[in-house]
Amino acid sequence: MKLQVSSSPHIGTKLTTQKIMGHVCIALLFPTIAGTVMFGIYSFVVVLVAAASAVLAEFLYNKITRQPLTVNDLSALVTGMILGLNLPPTAPLFVPIVGSFFAIMIVKMLFGGIGRNFANPAATARLFLVLSWTGFMTNYAAPVDYSQGFWKAFVSGFTKEYVTSATPLTALKGASGAVPESINLLDMFLGRIGGSIGEVCAVAIILGFIYLMIFKIIDWKLPVVYIAASAVAALVFYKNGWLFILPTLLSGGLLFAAVYMLTDYSTSPNTTIGRIIFAAGAGFLTVLFRRYSGMVGGVSFAIVLMNLTVPLLDRIIPKPFGYVKPKKEAARG
Amino acid sequence: MSYLFNRGIHPKDKKELTADLPFEVMSAPAKVYIPLCQHIGAPAKARVSVGDRVKAGTLIGEATGFISANVHSSVSGTVVAIEQRENAAGRKIDHIVIENDGLYEEEALPPLENPTKMDIFTRCYDAGIVGMGGATFPTHVKIQPNKPIHTLIINGAECEPYITADYRMMLEHPKEIVEGISYIKTVLGAQKVVIGIEDNKPKAIDAMQAAVAGTDITVQKLKTKYPQGGEKQLIHAVTKLKVPWTGLPADVGVIVVNVTTAFVVYEAIKLGKPSYTRFMTVSGKGIKRPANLIVRVGTPFEDVVDYLGHNDYVKAIVGGPMMGLSIANLNPVVAKGNSSLLLLDKSEEREIEPTPCINCGRCAMACPMRLIPMMTDRLILKDKIADSYKYHPQCCIECGCCAYVCPADRPLVQSQRLAKKLIKERMQ
Repeated sequence: MKLQVSSSPHIGTKLTTQKIMGHVCIALLFPTIAGTVMFGIYSFVVVLVAAASAVLAEFLYNKITRQPLTVNDLSALVTGMILGLNLPPTAPLFVPIVGSFFAIMIVKMLFGGIGRNFANPAATARLFLVLSWTGFMTNYAAPVDYSQGFWKAFVSGFTKEYVTSATPLTALKGASGAVPESINLLDMFLGRIGGSIGEVCAVAIILGFIYLMIFKIIDWKLPVVYIAASAVAALVFYKNGWLFILPTLLSGGLLFAAVYMLTDYSTSPNTTIGRIIFAAGAGFLTVLFRRYSGMVGGVSFAIVLMNLTVPLLDRIIPKPFGYVKPKKEAARG
Repeated sequence: MSYLFNRGIHPKDKKELTADLPFEVMSAPAKVYIPLCQHIGAPAKARVSVGDRVKAGTLIGEATGFISANVHSSVSGTVVAIEQRENAAGRKIDHIVIENDGLYEEEALPPLENPTKMDIFTRCYDAGIVGMGGATFPTHVKIQPNKPIHTLIINGAECEPYITADYRMMLEHPKEIVEGISYIKTVLGAQKVVIGIEDNKPKAIDAMQAAVAGTDITVQKLKTKYPQGGEKQLIHAVTKLKVPWTGLPADVGVIVVNVTTAFVVYEAIKLGKPSYTRFMTVSGKGIKRPANLIVRVGTPFEDVVDYLGHNDYVKAIVGGPMMGLSIANLNPVVAKGNSSLLLLDKSEEREIEPTPCINCGRCAMACPMRLIPMMTDRLILKDKIADSYKYHPQCCIECGCCAYVCPADRPLVQSQRLAKKLIKERMQ
């Protein structure tokens, strides 16, 4: 009988990369469904197109470079879904296609594929799209009004019969001292606001977070520290800052990014202390950009900027158990 | 108070397969092959030649040097050959082949009453006692540290899945273990003795607690977590002391001894019996009738498997599934340090086809030594030895937690070993 010989350990968890990515996809379904309910079936098509073209992009890259197929690990699907959920519900379909190809081919695969990309592919692709097609990327629709008849409302994205709307983020821009009257916290929590497909409904995002925590897919410290740092930054940067904490947290892509984008394995630090600095920095920068920069949002910029600090943060190497300062050994080492 | 170390993992313990089975004696095969090196250190030198008649307990291999151990025959019979065979680690070493005459005549050392420190030390040396937990470090060396010892910890954690040998030992021979402990304590002059047992073995805790009644030995319940039985982790859990990263337990005044070692010390002193039997668990889905066996040293694993019967299996492991060695065939023999033999079927073993690291950091979160195995893996595979040195792979205890949790099935323990080796070769 032939026996297998390998190094210890001989047992392991059944968790694989594919399963992890599968869990993230399931968690992403919560905001996808919420977005579809809010903005109609067209927004679902946007996410679907983004996801499909991301997978296609990785498949093509594998074929062109004659490397083994890596689409099975589902990470391209995750990237595509995150990008799709980051788009406005009115985006023309070429936008998710271009975005996904950019995210996968340029940001992810050129730098070595899964685990080796230096910046979050979805966030970078979103920035690329915002800079290239600012008009399409800021054309937000109000949630569809189902009182006019379900089907009419549900397909309004296709018939272009949507009502364009400002997002709470735009309303908050420039405000300080008092929160604008158009801000309704309950609507923001439930998702009855304009915005990107995935980011509007806080409830769905929190459900996704709980799902990811149950299966221990993400490190809770990243979203929690990010949100806490954003809250503190809002307190500091705005006059009467306490009034701005909740509007800041619930507007724009802050919660979505906290749960799904900041927690990207490849582009977050390895150590606990590194992760805390990374998330706190991202939270601080997000609010800083929102308050003082020329742009309306700041989440993607903050994330990509902090992604660039990760190699630096990863230079923090924890001291091993029982570490004592080397005395004589230092000379030898 | 929490009796716990940081990080680590919670593998399924699978001890239910053999936990309730008392030790059964397996009779020795017609021929035993006794390896002359069953310990860490210099191999013993053969003291018999072909044609010599030996009894069970006859000294057949003599320790050479300080860190070495005596080897005794495990059956009575005739030496028929001294030949090179592969041991479990795949190394060719000398084995003394003894034809078993089936008489089991015994040759014992004189039992000792009220032994002095020197007596105990000499007896451990004479009886060839080595650490029974798996590391097989000669006990006579261990109990002679050059630093004062204040605490003796008896390791009854048995954190490796499947293995129940120490557990059964604690249930069946608690009094003897305590007596063995008292001898070791005398030698070390330790003020405090703690028996550490994981809380998934309540019966063993009860048994030991009853046995230590009236002595100053305490039994400490430990949280069940792997690698609780790791020396540095156990010391930290029990005493809150941290063994320096480049140091030994004696540096913080602690010595850790396995429960079965304590029992063997008792046997050597009270009964004069040298170390030539092995208490082992034979388990896994590949074994038809999992059992706890008392096996004579030198019995080929093949005979052990034939004795219990087997199903389909893909992997045979000597030792625990986390740190044990997988063997290519069942020719190697039972040695003093083998606490278990496991035959795993396809469903039990770990996937070993690696995929790219996804940087998830699970290995770093599991490492009880607070290392970042994925970085060592990444760097050492590119031959960046100086860079990987910054991640302290030399501290790795090879417990396997990192590879256990790795979703990408990276060979993390191998890279740590490779890094250790290359750093030793090229940097020091």
